[in-house]
Amino acid sequence: MRYPKRRGRSSVPGRKVRLATAAMLLVATTVAACGDGKDDGTKASAPKAPATIPELTKDPLTLSFIWFDWPPAHALEAFANAEYKKERPSTTIKVNTVPNANWHDAMFTQFAARKTDFDIAILDSQHIGEAVTNGNILDITDFVKNNIDVTAYNPYLLAAYGQFPQAETGKRDENASLYGLPLLGDTWTMIYRKDLIGDKAPQTWDEMISVAQKCQAEHPGVSGLAFHQANGSDAAAVTYNTVNGVYGGNLWDSKARKIEGVLNDAAGQEAMDVLVNKMKPLTAKGSGNWFIDEVNAAVAQGKACIAFNWIAASGGLLDPKQSTLGTTRKQILDKLGFATLPRQKTDLVPLGGMGMHVSAYSAAANQAEALNFMKWFERADIQKKWAAAGGVPSRTDALQSPEFLTAGPFNQVYTDSVPRMRDMWNVPEYARLVDIENTNVNAALNGAKKPKDALDDIAKEQQGVIDSSGRKGGGGL
Amino acid sequence: MAFTSPALLLLLAMSVFPLLWALYLSFTDYSATRGGPADFIGFGNYTAILTSAQVHQRALTTLIYVVGAVALQTVLGFGIAYLISRRTHGRGLLTTLFLVPMMLSPVVVGLFWRFMLDAQFGVVNSMLGSRGLGQVEWLTRQRTALLSLVVVDTWQWTPFIMLIALAGLTAVPKYLYEAASIDRASEWFRFRTITLPLVWPLLLIAVMFRAIEAFRLFDLVYILTNGGPGVSTETLSFHVYKVAFLGFNTGTASAYGILMVLVVIVLTQLYLRYLNKLKEG
Repeated sequence: MRYPKRRGRSSVPGRKVRLATAAMLLVATTVAACGDGKDDGTKASAPKAPATIPELTKDPLTLSFIWFDWPPAHALEAFANAEYKKERPSTTIKVNTVPNANWHDAMFTQFAARKTDFDIAILDSQHIGEAVTNGNILDITDFVKNNIDVTAYNPYLLAAYGQFPQAETGKRDENASLYGLPLLGDTWTMIYRKDLIGDKAPQTWDEMISVAQKCQAEHPGVSGLAFHQANGSDAAAVTYNTVNGVYGGNLWDSKARKIEGVLNDAAGQEAMDVLVNKMKPLTAKGSGNWFIDEVNAAVAQGKACIAFNWIAASGGLLDPKQSTLGTTRKQILDKLGFATLPRQKTDLVPLGGMGMHVSAYSAAANQAEALNFMKWFERADIQKKWAAAGGVPSRTDALQSPEFLTAGPFNQVYTDSVPRMRDMWNVPEYARLVDIENTNVNAALNGAKKPKDALDDIAKEQQGVIDSSGRKGGGGL
Repeated sequence: MAFTSPALLLLLAMSVFPLLWALYLSFTDYSATRGGPADFIGFGNYTAILTSAQVHQRALTTLIYVVGAVALQTVLGFGIAYLISRRTHGRGLLTTLFLVPMMLSPVVVGLFWRFMLDAQFGVVNSMLGSRGLGQVEWLTRQRTALLSLVVVDTWQWTPFIMLIALAGLTAVPKYLYEAASIDRASEWFRFRTITLPLVWPLLLIAVMFRAIEAFRLFDLVYILTNGGPGVSTETLSFHVYKVAFLGFNTGTASAYGILMVLVVIVLTQLYLRYLNKLKEG
C-alpha cells in the first residue's frame, strides 16, 4: 500500500506548492537578470586605468590576448613569450585567435557578458568607439602620460589606435582621451609582377589600370588585378574606401555627421565607376568573394599581374613552399615588386593595423600585467625587436630602423605610407556601417546592383544608422 | 516528481527562461553591449520588423530556399529509398553510405563545398573545364549562389528523407503487393495505389522536419556565401544574427526570433492538422 500513499503526498496542494516554487524561482531569476542589466547601465563610459603600474603579482600568470587568426597573431605570441619572459619569467603570453569574420563578435559578445577570457583585446581602430561607449576597455590617458613617450610616434598613428573621439585624418587631439596603444601598423601595398610589367611600379591609379589591362591581354591565364571583394569583415568596404580616397572622395562629414550627399558626391560616384567598370573587369572570374588569403594565393600561383593586400599579411608571398614563382626567396623577389599605392587626385592610403586595449572585466592582477606589457612593448628597443620578428611597429624610430626596413621588402612601403593614411569611421555604429558598405560594394562588384544604386544605397542606409540613435524600436534592421 | 525535477529545472533554466526572457526583451530597446535599462517600447520592434522591406526580402529568399531545397530533397530522397528498398543484396551498406553526408557538421560541409565550388581553384569548375564547358561563378552570382546553397543542403540532407522514406517503404505489408501481382497490376499501378499512399504520411512528416530545419538555415550561408553577393542569399536567420551581433540590437533581434518561432509554430500546426485529416481519411 505504499504506492497510494505516495500518490497521496503528490496530491493537488503539493503540486501547487511545487509549481509556485518553480514560478518564484523563474521570477527571481528574471528579476536578478533584469537587475544585472540595470546595474551595468550606470557604467556608461570606460573606467580609468591607474596612472602608474600597480605592484605586479609574483604568482605565475597567463596574459591573454584576443585577435583573429593570421600570421602576426602567431608571431606576437612567439615574440612575446621569448622576449617578455626575460623580464617577467612567471608570465606566459597566450594569443587566442578566432576566424577573421568572427573577430568583432568574439570580443563584443564577451564584453556584453561583462566577463572576458582575455586581458588585452586587439581592436581594429574602428572598434574603439563601440568599446569606449560601452565601457568595455580602460581609459589609459593618465597611464600613457606617465609611462609612454608620445613624441616618439607619428601623432596620427597614436591617435588612430587609441584616441576617442576619432581624430581628424593625419592629426591627433592631445586633449582627447586614449584607450589603447599601437600593436601592429598596417596599410595596403601594391604587389606587382616585375617580370610581366617591368621594374617600375605604376605611379598613378589610371596608369595602374592601363598597365594591368595590357598585362592581362598579353598573358592569357593571368588576370590584370587581384583585390579584396568579399562581403565579410571589411573586405569590399576597404577596397571602395581606398579608391574613394584616391579619387578625392570623402566617407563622411564627421562634424555634421553627414554621409548622404558626401559619400555619393561626384568624386564618390567616379570612384565607384572606376572600381566596378574599370578595375573589376581585370580580375579573375569568380573573384567576387576574395579576401586576404585568396589574393595572396592568386599572387603566389602567378595568376595576377598587380594585386593589393595588407602588408602584415604579405609575408607568406616570399615563402617558396607556398609559391610557384620560385624555389628560393630571391627567385620570388626577382618576380615580385612591392610599392606604395599609386596616386591620382590624392595620395591617400587605407590605415590598417590594430591597437592593444585592456579589458575592463579582467582581474586586477591581469590588468596590471597588461599595462606593464604595454609599457614594455612600446619601448624603443622592443619595437625594433618586434620589427625584426616580422611585426610592423608604430614608433618612428623603429619604422626608420634598419631592423625594420631590412626585415621585409614591403616594410619601406609602410614607412613611406604613414603620412598618407586615412581611416574609416570610428563610431559605436561602425560594425553596421561597414556591413552596409561591404554588402553593397560586393553587390556592385558581382552584378547584383548597379554601381550608382549601390553607392546611393550605402549613403542612405548609413545615414539612417547614424541618425537612428534615438529611434524606438526596430534598431538594427 | 523528485526524479524528474533535475531535468525540469534544467529545462526551465536552459529553455523556458531564455524564451521568456527573449519575449520580455522583444518589447524593449535593450542592447546587450550598451547595457543600461531596458525601456519598454510596446510593439515597436514587431511593427518595425513586419514593415521592413529588408525583412521582406530575406523572407522571400528563405521561402525560395526552403521550397527549392525541400522539394529537391523529397524527390531525390524518396527516389533513392525506393530504389534501395527494391534491392535484396547490399541494402544495409548502401543505406550506410548514403547516410554519411548527414553525419557531417554543416560547417565542415560548407567549407569543403566552398573549396569545390571556387570558380578559380575548385574541382567542379575544373571538371567542367575538362569537358570543354565554361567556368561558372557558383558563389558570386545572384542566381547560382542561391542554387549552390540548395544543392549543398540537398547533398547533406537528402539522406534524412531517404531514411524516413525507407522506413515507410519497408513497412508496407508484402501481401498487398502479392495480391496486386495476382491481379496482374502494373508496376506503376502498384506504386500509385499501394506504395505512395502508405508512405505518404511518413514522408510528409519528414518534409515537415526538413522544412523547419531549412527555415532556420544559418551555417551554410555563413560559410558558403556570407549572404552574398550583396544580401541576395541572406536568410532570415542570417539577418537575425546580423541584427543581434553587429549592432547588438538585442530587443529587435529578440522580437525577430520570436516572430520566426511563431511562424514555425503556426505553419506546423496547420500542417499537422492536414496530416491528421489525411490519417482520418
